[in-house]
Amino acid sequence: MNLRTPGRADALAAEYVLGTLRGQARQRFARLALSDRTLADAVRNWEERLLPLAEALPPVAPPARVWNAVLARIRGAGAARSSIWSSLGLWRGLALASLAMVIALTSVLLRPVTERPEGALVVVLAGSDARPALVASADRLGRYLSVKPVARVDVAADRALQLWMLPEGGNPRSLGLISATGVIRVALSAPAEDALRTIPALAVSLEPAGGSPTGLPTGPVLYSGPIQRTY
Amino acid sequence: MALDPAKQLERNARLMELLARTALADQKSFAELYRLTSAHLYAVALRIVRDAAAAEEILQESFVNVWHHAGSYVAAKSQPLTWLTSIVRNRCLDQLRRREIDTVTMNDEEEGVMVAAEDPSPLEMLLSGADARAVGACVETLEPGQKQAIALAFFQGLSHSELATHLREPLGTVKSWIRRGLERLRACLDDAGVAR
Repeated sequence: MNLRTPGRADALAAEYVLGTLRGQARQRFARLALSDRTLADAVRNWEERLLPLAEALPPVAPPARVWNAVLARIRGAGAARSSIWSSLGLWRGLALASLAMVIALTSVLLRPVTERPEGALVVVLAGSDARPALVASADRLGRYLSVKPVARVDVAADRALQLWMLPEGGNPRSLGLISATGVIRVALSAPAEDALRTIPALAVSLEPAGGSPTGLPTGPVLYSGPIQRTY
Repeated sequence: MALDPAKQLERNARLMELLARTALADQKSFAELYRLTSAHLYAVALRIVRDAAAAEEILQESFVNVWHHAGSYVAAKSQPLTWLTSIVRNRCLDQLRRREIDTVTMNDEEEGVMVAAEDPSPLEMLLSGADARAVGACVETLEPGQKQAIALAFFQGLSHSELATHLREPLGTVKSWIRRGLERLRACLDDAGVAR
């Protein structure tokens, strides 16, 4: 492969990235680029130049079987390292355990709502023993969630309770710190019906004072519950 | 997925974080990475291989590969979506090679002889990073033949000989459109500060 001619390496890198370098020449070039930094850099530079063009393509959602196949193939490799947050069993367990209590409590909580046509969102946050510890509620169009303890919640002085949204298939997103003793209003970025539209459940974790340093839950999940909507 | 620069920076930062977490075997982050990028990457593969089953398989292989090799992604050297796109495109092009005739002449005798280093490797790739619109604007400056040949090669995965057939032009003309078009693109993008 004659790469001594000035510009030849760069021209080949360009055609490699564009896709017009084919067949054995392509394989050979790729092999050389593995061990030659100048070539590798030339390829990377051309990738930075050309590949953003692909962003102009209208996205096409692949069928769900692709993700299922990927998951099936990576399971086992690294699955053991996944945290309690990715344990579906945990969420199922918590959700089922608190269901009865949710039904009982929401019927009480929602009584005044019938007089307000706009509706509300209610979340009963219960522990693994299914006993409700906190209740979060918001008017459908309200800009905050009221979070109120309904049982005694003991939190050490150097710890804090943090409230999280649990999007389906995504990382928990913090809603802020809450109090174990009094009612707290947690500000929402939009009216509750929009801010929580795609969120099936909330959870509370135990974090260092000041909240999780990483932006993701670091401590144990103390309470969780599905969002009940009355509209 | 063409976004304004602020959104693009935000998205890239998110994708970088997800890649970093994927490298630590965090399945949730990997799932989000898939959710955010798979439709884009599937579209890329579909265009080139023109077969849904083959594109699905390439997407699957690519993501399994990403799961195992996310740690080899170097944020300072490539933008995350570019890195992911290159994995998918290379798989597509490798698959196409079976039906291709090699049309780029290479000289085997001097294999292994490299050009002298021209530029140091790029360090601030992220900050000076490519903006899809800058690339698009530069493509617009190409002559019609160059533009068409490059677009067909890039998006549809056409080879030199396929381009010649498709465009009903001699092979030499098509090759020169591609070569000159790429040179011109490079000059335009260098002026615009994309890559280097």
